[in-house]
Amino acid sequence: MNSKHFRLWDLPTRLFHWLLVLAIIAAIVSGQLGGNLIVWHGRIGIFIVGLVVFRLIWGLLGSTYARFAHFFPSPARIKAYLRGEWHQPGHNPLGALSVFALLGLITFQAVSGLFANDDIAFNGPLYDLVGRDLSNRLSGLHHLVSNGLYVLIALHLAAIAFYGHIKKKNLVKAMISGRHEGEGEDARGGGLVALVVALLVAAAAIYGASGAWLPEPPPPPPAAETPSW
Amino acid sequence: MKKLVLAALALTLAGGASAQVKPEDAIKWRQSAYATMGWSMARIKMNVEGTYNKDEVIKAATVIQSIANSGMGSLYLPGTDKGKGWEETRVKPEFFTNKDGVGKVAMAFNKEANEMAKVAASGDVAAVKEQFGKLGGTCKGCHDDFKIKK
Repeated sequence: MNSKHFRLWDLPTRLFHWLLVLAIIAAIVSGQLGGNLIVWHGRIGIFIVGLVVFRLIWGLLGSTYARFAHFFPSPARIKAYLRGEWHQPGHNPLGALSVFALLGLITFQAVSGLFANDDIAFNGPLYDLVGRDLSNRLSGLHHLVSNGLYVLIALHLAAIAFYGHIKKKNLVKAMISGRHEGEGEDARGGGLVALVVALLVAAAAIYGASGAWLPEPPPPPPAAETPSW
Repeated sequence: MKKLVLAALALTLAGGASAQVKPEDAIKWRQSAYATMGWSMARIKMNVEGTYNKDEVIKAATVIQSIANSGMGSLYLPGTDKGKGWEETRVKPEFFTNKDGVGKVAMAFNKEANEMAKVAASGDVAAVKEQFGKLGGTCKGCHDDFKIKK
């Protein structure tokens, strides 16, 4: 138990990751079951907007290995990785592609959902901004893109299994403890100020996504003004 | 000969009068029925979320129940898998080939629509809310399999 290790994933990154896992599972289940759960599907979607925005800010202000610049999959890095010349800890360039693809699709799903409708009795919180036709199109894309997300999630899990069984490297453990075995530099940066800034921006995004700022619809005319039949 | 022509004419006219529903009308009526149910679902929802008015909910649930029991299946004539009513129909071709599947979702909807009317009459808000979810779930059951996403 004396083996060396260093700090890889900071706590906010880990919390983000596992909260996102839970939220995505909840979103998939509530979306599939429908009924009254569609209301929760909408709430979870707003929460996911907050999570993703937090991660985007954390990718700029977070600690070393959480930063986008640290693992941005440039063509040169991908080539180096494929030639076996990549030995940095954290996301490798192919893994980074998957990270950005997942973030991109999840963002698309969360944002399109805000404008979507279920053709029954549920409208996303920002539905009123786009009108029926565009909402229908976005709803269609929301359904379509969910398949892409399933594929990416399957790839993500397959990669973890591959690392665990073939390369004997437990990625899940590192995402829980934050520690990476072996030699390397501790993650630095991403202090309290950065955390507060990221949380504030995420909270603002949640507020924006919730549609709470939309003007109240005009009150319906009192019953006396419409015919009683 | 004259008699024969008259008979033929009479037959044609009679045939014309009892002619099948026009595909365009069938699609229009389908779409109108769904829009009317949309109104009623929204109406129940507004009552459950805002101030509850028992009569409003009974009216809305009755509309849905009536449409569910109206034999709307007869509007899905052969050849109406494509075509324009108020807008282009969004029914999937599978609707016309997977009769068992359609029957299942239709019966599920019918059952929950009847139940909705019963629950509405009770005026129990919590029960109405729950039944509203179940009913919406049966709408989704058909939409998922038999309605084209835009």
